[in-house]
Amino acid sequence: MSEDAGHKNASASPQRRSFLLAAAWGGGIAGLGGLTGLTIARLTRKQTAAPARKPVLGDEFTYDVARFQKSDPALLRYQEITRFASGLEHARALAVAADSTIVVGGSGGIHKFSAKGEAGLKIPLDQPVYSIAWRASGEMMVGQLGKISVLDASGAVLAVWSGLPENLLPTSIALAGDLVFVADAANRVVLKLDASGKKLGVIGARDPARNLKGFVVPSPYFCVRMAPDGLLRIANPGEHQIEAFTLDGDLEVAWGQGSFAVAGFCGCCNPVSFDVFPDGSFVTCEKGLPRVKLYNSTGEFTGLVAGPDAFPEYLQAANAGTTDALGSGVYAAIDPQGRVLVLDSVSGLIRIMQRK
Amino acid sequence: MSEEAPTSAGENQRPAGDNQRPDRENQRDDRENQRDDRENQRDAGENQRDAGERRRPAGSVGHPAQHSSVNEPPLPSASLPAAQFSRHAISRRELLKSGARGASLLGFGAAAGFLSGRESKDATRWQIDPNQCIQCGRCATDCVLEVSAVKCVHSYGMCGYCKLCTGYFEPEPINLDEGAENQLCPTGAIKREFIEDPYYEYSINKELCVGCGKCVKGCNMFGNGSLYLQVCHDRCINCNICSIATACPAQAFHQVPLTKPYLLRGKGASAK
Repeated sequence: MSEDAGHKNASASPQRRSFLLAAAWGGGIAGLGGLTGLTIARLTRKQTAAPARKPVLGDEFTYDVARFQKSDPALLRYQEITRFASGLEHARALAVAADSTIVVGGSGGIHKFSAKGEAGLKIPLDQPVYSIAWRASGEMMVGQLGKISVLDASGAVLAVWSGLPENLLPTSIALAGDLVFVADAANRVVLKLDASGKKLGVIGARDPARNLKGFVVPSPYFCVRMAPDGLLRIANPGEHQIEAFTLDGDLEVAWGQGSFAVAGFCGCCNPVSFDVFPDGSFVTCEKGLPRVKLYNSTGEFTGLVAGPDAFPEYLQAANAGTTDALGSGVYAAIDPQGRVLVLDSVSGLIRIMQRK
Repeated sequence: MSEEAPTSAGENQRPAGDNQRPDRENQRDDRENQRDDRENQRDAGENQRDAGERRRPAGSVGHPAQHSSVNEPPLPSASLPAAQFSRHAISRRELLKSGARGASLLGFGAAAGFLSGRESKDATRWQIDPNQCIQCGRCATDCVLEVSAVKCVHSYGMCGYCKLCTGYFEPEPINLDEGAENQLCPTGAIKREFIEDPYYEYSINKELCVGCGKCVKGCNMFGNGSLYLQVCHDRCINCNICSIATACPAQAFHQVPLTKPYLLRGKGASAK
């Protein structure tokens, strides 16, 4: 190494060191300054909470329906004999086959159960199931967003019906011989289809010439059933009624009224589902106040299957204000033995109720 | 082998101009070193003078130079080479210079910290997650404002436009009309307007709403949940620690980005 280079290295080293030293000092001082600034910023913020609390709100600020959440034991006509979990998220489809096999549909697909509630086949499906109906042949008709599928007993897809509205929300399916009726909550009509899924007509669309005001369906709860008298029964939840239609779509008769009292349908839009006994009487389900009630064939209240206090999980969520307003329904189906199966979406439980 | 000898063929092929560059840099470094030496010598002289002043006996007068002419042993510091001395001692001028630099750095850091602290606070807003809200009424009682900044808002896209709205009517109304005795809201903050049979539109008067959540509970329990509570930022003063958030039993209050200050429900939600 030359002397020049050695001199350069020797003199550059202290310069670099002092530079690094100065930089470290500068960084430290700037950091200290930053910390001080942050502290000042925090201290000079606006109010830091805890003013005097205003007076407690009076009763007029409390939403109180507790008096409607208790049921009169004298009105109970049924008792629970067993219950079991559906094992599904957002379970909202319930149907019973002629052999008493129970099927429940929800977000994960379809689960089958025996008449005693023993778990059977699980059919996974990629889309949530909104409705199920059994054909006499043992096939299942499954309603999902935008489509109706036909499945065999093992869950294999036999057909998917096309040509239906893209936004179809099939919340209920009823069968009358070869005819299929699909309650479409999105379009507020009942679709009339043939056995192959071909659209034959629409029931319930607003038509002043036929004295039809149209269905009022504020939320995704819209139920259709076939009654033994040969007429369709369709819930009109916004009007708190169950309406009877011919298979050609003429309105014949309607019954029901809005009320929080036990004989009426509570809230803005009930009943959310119902089923018809072989004698033409009804079992109805309500949301908000979870009530399962009995009406005779002319719509006269005859008693309770289960009152609100039979659904503690539902009531707890409702009172806490944490229920999913669009997915907290109660559904009923009548099995061949005359028992009433009740599905509560909040707990996902199925209760088997037997007449006392 | 000399350390300056090229170590690779690539370096041997370096153009002449490149070979000359280190020499120029060395010359520049030498000049800088000489300048440093001169400064150090000057500093050493100043230090020597200061030391002379310090050594002067109390009560003595006269120019410090006079003392240096006396045959006294030189100060130890003065006997050091100038460059070595400068490492141990610091001149007044340098002290002042360094002090000024430090102070300016400190000030700069403080300003940056202050601004970043302010910005981080200004970048968020308090908001209620409607899916966690349990309508307990604390929003009405625990806000620092006289009338709470929390108001009911309406997602019109989710609303069913029901004739019997459970957010508007008492559970058992006498009639389905706008009579005060039928209305659920204690302050009459909900307006009901006929659209077409059987549909009605409901809107919130924010001046009257106190954020108690009574209507929200009615709507959520029986209806679609289109009524819900939100902190309205045209009223909220964005406290450091929101007193409602502290009191909220459901931990439904969150700090959300300023760029998305509302946690809305439905597609067509708006605070009307």
